[in-house]
Order: sequence, then C-alpha cells, then structure tokens
Amino acid sequence: MLKRRNLLIAAMAWTLPFPAFATPSAIRMRDLYNKDTSFSELALSLQDQRIDVEGFMAPPLKADATFFVLTKKPMAVCPFCETDADWPDDILAVHTKRRIKVKPFTLRLRVSGVLELGSLRDAETGFVSRVRLTDATYR
Amino acid sequence: MNRLLPMTALTALMSTTAGAQNVSQADNEWFRAGQAAIAQKTAVQPITSQAKNVIILIADGNGVGTNYATRLWHGQQNGNMGDENVLPYETFPHLALAKTYNVNAQTPDSAGTGTAMHSGIKTKAGVVGVDETLNRGDCAQTEAASVTNMSEIMTATGRSVGVISTARITHATPASVYAHSADRNYESNDGLPEGCAQPDIASQLIEAMKAGHVDVAMGGGRRHFIGKDVTDEEGKTGKRTDGRNLLEEARSMGAQYAWNDETASALALDGSSPILALFESSHMKYEYDRTGEPSLAEMTSTAIRALQGNEGGFFLSIEAGRVDHANHDGNLHRVVTDGVAFAEAVAIADELTSDEDTLIVVTADHEHAIAFNGYCGRGTPITGLCYGIDGNGVMHNGEPQTGADGKPYTVVGYLNGAGTVLREDVNWVGARGDITQDEATDPDYLQQALIPRSSETHSGEDVAIYAKGPWAHLLNGTVEQNFIFHVMHHAATVE
Repeated sequence: MLKRRNLLIAAMAWTLPFPAFATPSAIRMRDLYNKDTSFSELALSLQDQRIDVEGFMAPPLKADATFFVLTKKPMAVCPFCETDADWPDDILAVHTKRRIKVKPFTLRLRVSGVLELGSLRDAETGFVSRVRLTDATYR
Repeated sequence: MNRLLPMTALTALMSTTAGAQNVSQADNEWFRAGQAAIAQKTAVQPITSQAKNVIILIADGNGVGTNYATRLWHGQQNGNMGDENVLPYETFPHLALAKTYNVNAQTPDSAGTGTAMHSGIKTKAGVVGVDETLNRGDCAQTEAASVTNMSEIMTATGRSVGVISTARITHATPASVYAHSADRNYESNDGLPEGCAQPDIASQLIEAMKAGHVDVAMGGGRRHFIGKDVTDEEGKTGKRTDGRNLLEEARSMGAQYAWNDETASALALDGSSPILALFESSHMKYEYDRTGEPSLAEMTSTAIRALQGNEGGFFLSIEAGRVDHANHDGNLHRVVTDGVAFAEAVAIADELTSDEDTLIVVTADHEHAIAFNGYCGRGTPITGLCYGIDGNGVMHNGEPQTGADGKPYTVVGYLNGAGTVLREDVNWVGARGDITQDEATDPDYLQQALIPRSSETHSGEDVAIYAKGPWAHLLNGTVEQNFIFHVMHHAATVE
C-alpha cells in the first residue's frame, strides 16, 4: 500500500532534475589534456572558442564568487584545503558570467564558456590556472 | 538417512579416476577439468626449507569482491568472458582468508593492517609500528609502544630490505615496513602536533636507509622529503618546514635517486648502494593515467634485481596502493586497471624468483563497500550494465537488466560514496539516472552508490591470501591477518 509519505517521496523523485549526461557535442575534460598534462590537439584547436565541457564543481574557494574549479571526477576533498601538490593535474578553472550557485560536488555539470590556454593568476582568489573557461554559464 | 545414501554412493564412485569413467558426464569438459585439478592438487608438496627471500605483495583495498572485478576485467580485455580468467596469483597452490579488523575497529584501516602484516601484532586503526597501548596521536607514547618491524627483523637476519608502493612511500602500508608513528598522517614534520618529539615518517625512512634497514624504496611522495620552499623536478613544492632536504641527505649518504622512468632505468642494480626513487610529489598516477613513471611491475623488477645481489637473501614488500584510492573514488575503471597492474607485478616477481627459495605472499589489507548486482549473463562487461542471461546460449542476451524503477543498472555498485544517487540540494532525496552502456563504461564513470559520502569506505570483509614457496602451506583456512607475518618470519628463520 502506498502510504502518504512514500507518495510524497515518489512525487519528489519524479520531479528531480536528473544530471545532465554527455551528448556528442560535449567535451570531456580529459580530452583537453594529454597524459603528461600538456594541452591536446583538440584544446589547441579550440582556443578562444566557446565550448561545452562536462565535469563536477569542486567545493568553491569562496562564497559569492564568480569562479570555481571543474574536475573530471567528483572532488571528494576541497583542493584549496591542501597544498597545490594535492590539486588534480587536469582541472579546469571556470570564470562565470554570474555569481555562482554552489552545486553538489557529486552532480555532473555541463559548462559553456570560452576556452583560454596559458597560465593566469586570478586577481580575486590568487588561484593560478593553466586553462580556463571564461564568460561561463553552467547547468 | 535414506537421502544420504545416494550422496555416499556418489562419493565412493568418484573417489577414483577409474570410478569417474563410469559416470555419464565423464567426457564433459568441466568434469575432465575437475579431474585434472585433482591430479594437480595431489601433486603439490610442501616446501619446508628456509626461504632465502620473502616477497609480500599487497593490493590495498583488493578484497575478494574487488579482486573478482579485476579477474573479469582482465579476462574480458584478453578476449574471453571474464569468469574463466585466472589471474597470475590465482594459480598459487595455497590459499587462506584473513580477518582484517583492527583491535578497535571492525572496519580496518591500512595502518593497523600494515602493522599486522609487517610486525605480527594487531593494533589500533591509524597507527604504524606501535602496539595497542598507544592512544592514536599521542607522540609521547610512540617510543614505549614501538614494536620491531619487518625491516628491522629481516636486516638482523642478514637480508636486504625493499619497499615499493604506488602510493606515497610514507603512506600507511609502506610506512609499516620501516616506521613507528602515533599517527599515519605524520608523514613529514609539518604534520606533527606541536611539541611532538617523534620523528616524522619520511625522516624515519631516511634514517632506516642510513642504518641499513632499508636498501630499496620506490614510490610516490617527494613532497614529504623536501621543504615548502623547495621545488621538485616536476615543479611542485614540498611540505617540510624544518629546513631539511631528505633527498639531499639520501644522496649524501651514497644513495642513488630517481624521479622518473628515465632516471629509474639508469639506476645501478648491483646492490652497491641503496636506492631511493620517488616518482610523484604525492601518489603515483593511476595505471590508466600513467606517463613518465614506471609501472608497478617495472618497479618490482628493478627492486628484485637490485636486492638479489645479497647472497643472504632479501625481504620485499610491494603495495598497489591505488586500487584502494580508486575504490574510495567509486571509479571501478581505475580499480581494475590498477588491479591488473598489480597482477602483472606478481607475475614478474614470480618469474624472477624460484619457488624453492622464495616465499611469495599475495594479499590485500582490507576490502571496500563494493557490491555486485545480478542476474547478469556471461560476458557482461564488468564495469558496465548488467545484461540478462540467455537461456538458449552462453553469452548474455544483450538486454540491460532493469530495476523496479525501469532503469538499467551496472554490475557493480557501492554502498556509499561520491557516486551516490541522493542529492544534497534536494534534501537528500534522489533517483537513479537512466544510464547508458557508453556512460557506464567510460573510464571516469562512478558506479552508483547509495549512502552519500565524499569518499567511499573500507569494509571489514575477509581478504584472500595466496601463497607459494617455502612454508606457504601454512597459509590455509581462516586466519588472523597478523598470522601472515608469522608465516613469513617462520619461513625466513627456520633452521
């Protein structure tokens, strides 16, 4: 028998937004890097173009920011709580068009932004990135 | 009583090969394989001479379930259905199950389990090379609670000692070979609590090398050997705050040093000088992501060739440390690819040594909260969706099995971890995604999990112990994990 509580949960589950999974047009983070963490041919060919990349939002450096780090797998540990030696080699810095709304680190996101390559220190956070998406939105 | 009679009769019938010829299935290939296995097993004779060399290979987090996944993956990569595959150590003649709990933990951690295997005693979770009288983190108790570890014991017998890990060489399992620490996290001096007089684990490794207790050390973890103001060969800074550069200290005492695959291949393996090889700032890369650094099998080969120069023999502890990490991530693809790398290390260790004088023990320190769904047909990709059983054939029917929610599910799931189907942003309510086979078999895919945790947990299930060589036959039945030490010690010291 379906009790009221179960019915409520079932209804909530039905309306949950499911994670957005890859479509052929989405780029996976690993496709931007070679194994030695140099940029791939694909990354070089897409420089300064708007692309869609899939990944996961690492726990943000600060609240009310326009910046977060995208990781290829859920980032169980805050990368900013350790030294830079603990950051994954293949992260992607995301500079967003709007203030970020923090997403669970287990939720797959699709980020759209302009691909920038080369080292840059973020003025607000001091975070140094080798590759970024700028003017980014995500869902 | 009547129901037992047919079984008794059947047992009598099958107790001899001649009897087996009288059953209708005598020509069945499974039946003949079973008979062949009887012949093989009855030919096994215990080796009771002293072991010149002892090698223990530990795949961290590779319990019976995880090992099953690697067996199927390895077989499927080699073109068979997986189930029939045999990993190199699964041919070993002796087998036992180990109970892995720590004295204060039903679910063990690698520091306590490493101490059990390398010192012969069970102790608390999170401590290295000390007994259970120590309260975790109390440095003042370290000296009094320290127990003699395998590097000290084997050195005293005249053997050389090696330790290898794909994790940081200061991580719990390798540290238990050579160190004594009130906490596994005291990897370099910056991690010690204020006023703690206990040396950090990295400095203990260097002191052990200076003392001749460790002759070969290979793994990751450069950051714990250099200062925070020092940049390593790959541009990463260290952690130390005491001004010591342990890599320089190692070189000063005559050790050879390697930091990538090229410098490793240039090492002199004549045993004339100790070897310190640190291939990453932190852990070495997963096998799937590996570049510019040696495989576990290559490190194993290097270490054995270097240690074989000692006529008195050697002890070598080898850890596949990242099977555990991939399980913690809930990412089965890297679990099984590192599992295969471990199997290849076992194979090369076996190839480079003789059963007559070398005891090889293959085991895990603990299992994980990994679980397996059914009912999947033969040949179902172990990292992918569960396909149904074909009643008219052997291979799966290609139809994904679905839950009551109508959605496919993977063969493997985790009870907890980052692959949780529950959503923090909707009050921890959740629903499973409608996964495709392409998504499930992607190398970065996280198998679905139930309980949300940032890092998937160990579990307390038993792990297997596979063994061959002198006194390997002592490993049978269900044993306490610290018994492994006693078998190795007995084999190395028996007159």
